[in-house]
Amino acid sequence: MQQGAVLAMLAKEPAHGYQLRARLRQALGPVGEGMNDGQIYVTLTRLEKAGLVTAEQEPGPPDRSDRKVYALTSAGQRRVADWLAEVSWPKPDLAEFHLKLIAAAAAGLADPITIIDTQRGDLLRRLRETQRAALAEPDRSPAALLLEGIVLRLQADLRWLEACEQNWTSGKDES
Amino acid sequence: MKDIDGGSWVLRTRGLRKEYGREASLVRAVDGVDLEVAPGETVAIMGPSGCGKSTLLYLLGGLDRPTAGEIWLDGQDITPMSERALARLRRDAIGFVFQAFHLMDELTAVENVELPALLAGRSPRAARRRAEELLERVGLADRARFLPTALSGGQRQRVAVARALVADPLVVLADEPTGNLDSASARDVLRLFDQLHQAGQTLVIVTHDARIAATADRMISMRDGTFIDQTMLQGGTSGRLGFLAGLEG
Amino acid sequence: MGKILLVCRLAARDLRRHKAQAVLLLLAITAATTTLVLGLALNGVTSHPYQQTRALTNGPDLVAGYGVNLNSNGPVPAEVSAAQVQTDTRTLTHLSGVTEYSGPYPVASVILRTRGLTVPVQAEGRGQAAAAVDQPKLTAGSWVRPGGVVLERTFATALGVVVGGRVTLDGRPFTVAGIAVTAAAAPYPNCYLTSCMFTGPQMGAGSSSLSTLNVGLAWVTEAAARAMASPQAPLSYVLNLKLKDPATAPGLAHEFLSTYGGTGGAIDQGIDSVNTWQAISSAAGQLVQDEQGVLRAGALLAVLLAVASVAVLAGGRMAERTRRVGLLKAAGSTPGLVASVLVAENLALALLAAAAGLVIGWAAAPLITNPGAGLIGTAGPPSITPATIGLTVALALAVALASTLVPAIKAARRSTVSALADSPRPPRRRAALIALSARLPVPLLLGIRMAAGRLRRAVLGAASVAVTCAGIVAVLTFRATVDHDLGTSAHQVGDPVATRDTQVLVVITIVLVALAVLNAVCAAWATVLDFRRSAALARALGASPRQVSAGVAWAQVLPAVPGALLGIPLGLGLFLAADGGGVLTIPPVWWLAVAVLAILAAVAVMASIPALIGARIPAAQILQSETA
Repeated sequence: MQQGAVLAMLAKEPAHGYQLRARLRQALGPVGEGMNDGQIYVTLTRLEKAGLVTAEQEPGPPDRSDRKVYALTSAGQRRVADWLAEVSWPKPDLAEFHLKLIAAAAAGLADPITIIDTQRGDLLRRLRETQRAALAEPDRSPAALLLEGIVLRLQADLRWLEACEQNWTSGKDES
Repeated sequence: MKDIDGGSWVLRTRGLRKEYGREASLVRAVDGVDLEVAPGETVAIMGPSGCGKSTLLYLLGGLDRPTAGEIWLDGQDITPMSERALARLRRDAIGFVFQAFHLMDELTAVENVELPALLAGRSPRAARRRAEELLERVGLADRARFLPTALSGGQRQRVAVARALVADPLVVLADEPTGNLDSASARDVLRLFDQLHQAGQTLVIVTHDARIAATADRMISMRDGTFIDQTMLQGGTSGRLGFLAGLEG
Repeated sequence: MGKILLVCRLAARDLRRHKAQAVLLLLAITAATTTLVLGLALNGVTSHPYQQTRALTNGPDLVAGYGVNLNSNGPVPAEVSAAQVQTDTRTLTHLSGVTEYSGPYPVASVILRTRGLTVPVQAEGRGQAAAAVDQPKLTAGSWVRPGGVVLERTFATALGVVVGGRVTLDGRPFTVAGIAVTAAAAPYPNCYLTSCMFTGPQMGAGSSSLSTLNVGLAWVTEAAARAMASPQAPLSYVLNLKLKDPATAPGLAHEFLSTYGGTGGAIDQGIDSVNTWQAISSAAGQLVQDEQGVLRAGALLAVLLAVASVAVLAGGRMAERTRRVGLLKAAGSTPGLVASVLVAENLALALLAAAAGLVIGWAAAPLITNPGAGLIGTAGPPSITPATIGLTVALALAVALASTLVPAIKAARRSTVSALADSPRPPRRRAALIALSARLPVPLLLGIRMAAGRLRRAVLGAASVAVTCAGIVAVLTFRATVDHDLGTSAHQVGDPVATRDTQVLVVITIVLVALAVLNAVCAAWATVLDFRRSAALARALGASPRQVSAGVAWAQVLPAVPGALLGIPLGLGLFLAADGGGVLTIPPVWWLAVAVLAILAAVAVMASIPALIGARIPAAQILQSETA
């Protein structure tokens, strides 16, 4: 994901590494706080190796990454266009949890309800944190929008957990 | 009858039960609920619709009589109280926020908010002042003279919250406060509840909206009239925000 | 055809679901129709009994009173010589057309005393043998005998005397030998209008005209009559004549008086009056005519009140119904169908009320139309003419439709969406009243806001209280006038006409009060329904149930105050209009004060009933079920 984003940020004009870092930070807000500083340079090096990006050394001390100016190649530009046009949506990863419950019940190793409740507590705490952060941001800022997205996803997941709980409770009653 | 267990619970119930109908058509809306709410705590009660959480809230607010069990408010048993005494209680110690807002359509926002104070016998001037104060607190000072029909859903609910706070109540009971709101309005109400929580107001919120529940210190699951499970929401989580957003991996 | 059946089915189901309201509506319209039927039934009722009496007693066509010169200069009428009496008798009996006669009978003007009462009486002297013309018909006891007196029936009832009772005439003791009726004079107290002339000393202060005396009629033996004559109260004579053609009586009487009247004419000589049977009949019927006037006024008031009740009820039902109307329309009914269902329901109720009114009125009419004890026979069951039926049905329909047509059309025309989304129409905002109410104690605060929210209903409530109060004030004014006229003497016997009128007025007042109570209950109920959510909310916010009920009561009482005060001048005006511009005696202030306070108290009590019932529903139920 990051690769595409970094490429796209170079589409308008070439930029230094630290400039790219700043732009990403701004767009992600608190979500980006956990981001590793060095991560971006790793990504840029990979892109350079793949021939999507060129790096030009600015006058100054040689071989210091932050003095390099990165720009898109024509292959890079094509990749950006493709990335923007992509319709794929991040994959929801529910299958693992679902199988966890079934396995636990089948093997009699743990009560599915307990697993669900534990997970739910965890999600709720995450929701609480995310929500707090969202409320602290100014309305309509990019960061707030992203946080809202996380909140809504968590909400959806919690609803599914509720459905799971109902299902596994009645299943237990029947059996 | 004083609460024998001592402790400073704001709200406490033992074996609370509410039944409708009889014999074959007997419905146990609330079936043996034990609850304790500490001062300044926010408790969220979640459950599927029809699980009895709204009924429980109305019992806690003295708007309905339990079939069995006791309720203590600030150490005082409210179960045997007369209608008149309950009314006084609702006036002075309990604030209620309804899902349907229940504002009087022919009164302006400030007139709606000052109503409980007027019912309590406070002077019109004092009541008006307090109402304006509270409208300012919920961020609607500029809408004080508006009729409810001229306000959005979120604004109406905030007026309702202001109304619930007029008597500086011991506890605010909220029944699905964001139930009738879109997500933007819900956010405003959410923020308000969070502020109330920070200010130390005791809150009991019944909801099926996880976002409202997430503002609480404690979340109780309810099904078929009883409490199933309780989750403490304080403390950290296992994941970082970045992970939640999919930034890693 | 299918559509008509559908309409009927929907209407029937609707009525079944709202039974209580349908019953109230029915009661209101029935009260109005019953009063109307009673009023109509009185038409032409009395000629019937008078004819019966006339036939039974062989009543006279002309009654002449003479033998006393009323125009003489002394304080007491001068007796006319016996020779003059004979001449007069001959003149009278030889009038053209006279076929037979009885008399002349001596008549003594005496004072009757019994049971603490003092009354002037004409005591006619009669023989044992039956007279050819005018032999009074005994309804109890036996005919005259020495020491015995026979009293005219209405007179006896007014005195409260029965056969065997003791009276004194002119100081002499008599026993009541019998009670009889006659067609030669109108029943007490209208006897004075035609045949009776009191020649005795004036009695009662402030009454100088002979014609204002309520004179009673009695029969004694001839000897007793002559014995009771005195220079202060000379004997007069009465002669009963029968004509070949009774219809010519008025013409004959007129001709006689104009020929023999004037100075020096027969009047001067002592022929004081020649009365026709038609005049006597109408005087006899006056009792009922008065009642009729009163009943008509009462019927009008009752109708007004009924309209007010119905309007309030209909308004209340409409508000509940709007949503159902929306459902009907959403399911495909045209506005026309919806309106037809509503109209059909009210039509059914109106027809039922008309039928009930006719039946009850027909059954109750004999109680009202009893033409007084003085005439034989009752009026019989009133004739229910097609006109009566038509008018009653028309009234019922008018009342039902007038108050429901407008809301029905409005409800039907309202857009489906707004009808579905909506519950009762929201109360209007009156900023000034809201601000004012904030300064008042809680029940008044709630009451003012509820009344202000439904101003039209408040005005209707005030109007109905005004109408009721007007009726009551009119009755009180009537009583005050009667008391004043009768003088302050405790010895006066009651005036049966006034008593009768009072009885009818009391009946009317009871009907009016019943309707007003109905009205108050309906209005309060409608208020409770309209403000169910607000009341539940007020309770949730801390108003006690008693405060809320008091609020509902105040919402009815506050408009009632100006209504009651307005009713006082209205009632006085009503009395003047019904009395035909007579003298107005304003009732004592404390009577009016008590009446107004009683009305207000009744309104408050009546309003509390639906309020208390409504307050028993737990607030939770109402608040949970209502949408935003």
